[in-house]
Amino acid sequence: MPAKLLVVDDEPRTAELTAELLRRAGYLVDIAASGAAALASVRSSSPDLMLLDYEMPDMEAPEVLDSLRSGGDRIAFPVIILTGARHAAGDQVLGIERGATDYIVKGTDRQVLLARVRGALRDRAPETRIISSGRLRIDLAGGQAWLGARALKLERRPLQMLQLLAARPGEVVGREELLERVWGTNYAGFEHSVEQAAHQIRRALAEPGWIETVRGLGYRFVAQP
Amino acid sequence: MDSGTGSSPSPELAAALHRLRSTLARLKAELELAREEGAAPPVERIRGDVDEALELLRAVERSALGLVTVLVVDDDVRLAELTARGLRRMGYDSDSADRFREARPGEVVVFDLGLYSGLDESARSALRSARPIVVTGATDAASRALAKSLNASDYLVKPIELEELAAAISRRIAEG
Repeated sequence: MPAKLLVVDDEPRTAELTAELLRRAGYLVDIAASGAAALASVRSSSPDLMLLDYEMPDMEAPEVLDSLRSGGDRIAFPVIILTGARHAAGDQVLGIERGATDYIVKGTDRQVLLARVRGALRDRAPETRIISSGRLRIDLAGGQAWLGARALKLERRPLQMLQLLAARPGEVVGREELLERVWGTNYAGFEHSVEQAAHQIRRALAEPGWIETVRGLGYRFVAQP
Repeated sequence: MDSGTGSSPSPELAAALHRLRSTLARLKAELELAREEGAAPPVERIRGDVDEALELLRAVERSALGLVTVLVVDDDVRLAELTARGLRRMGYDSDSADRFREARPGEVVVFDLGLYSGLDESARSALRSARPIVVTGATDAASRALAKSLNASDYLVKPIELEELAAAISRRIAEG
């Protein structure tokens, strides 16, 4: 099933051309011509990713991001903002706070656009914040995990890694994906980070069986009674 | 000539604007000629001109808006791209590459020292003149000496937090 993208731009030719480039790359693409239309479209059918023009007559990208987040919804899909040049450390910082995944300067080569869309889709946030499996309960937002009544002592990254694995029980999650999604805002040199985090998770759980190492590939969460 | 606000544009900005206008004029001339002759427009040349115009617009933006352009070079292309994306979210105009290419004017280069041995002499010389921020997993004296020989503006040991890298970029920009 190809990913479903929503292109939001008030300039119809820009929207249609961007959509066509993405369709040719195999994506299903919808178009919204304003911030309000984008919000309506998201509510009727949630896209896998949104490409959002920074400046539109009815609202600017940060307002759209704020509206997406309000009303009990959180942005469960990545948003890439299409923009012109920006002042360093101004609206960009807002972008982080408001949940933009990436930025693309308009006029960027198609290959770069497609690479950034692929990258953002890979990083999709897990749908649920609180995950339960048997006696294990993970609350990422609260920064806590429990096994039965016992709170597990885990630092942020091992906790994120546990959450990521537990969200997909039985599935091997590759080392690369863990690096990207758990350590993603960091730079390089993680030769042992994943192993160390796995070690910390196992020590905190203090019961065998939950986390399996799949040699050469990654790790698998195995639900325990 | 003085503008109404009393400040005059920088020479870099004026030069970039001048070249941008001349590129756009050339593009317009190509299209007008093609229309008069009823011929297909020369797609490749036009594409080249548009790329050049966008590149010049970037120079204008750098000069007028203080845009900072960063190239992150690392043989691990996914990590290079994650770093570049993190920098984009912090407001930098940032790209990643798995090999060194000549830096654009004003571009800050973040270079993984592990790629040094694969560079030929002209690339090494281009890298030295870019005064890169060198990133490495090694802390030994030889690596430090190599970074120094590259005219590195900073030497950062992995793993590196984005804030640390941003601080190094600011230092590099301040040095001019």
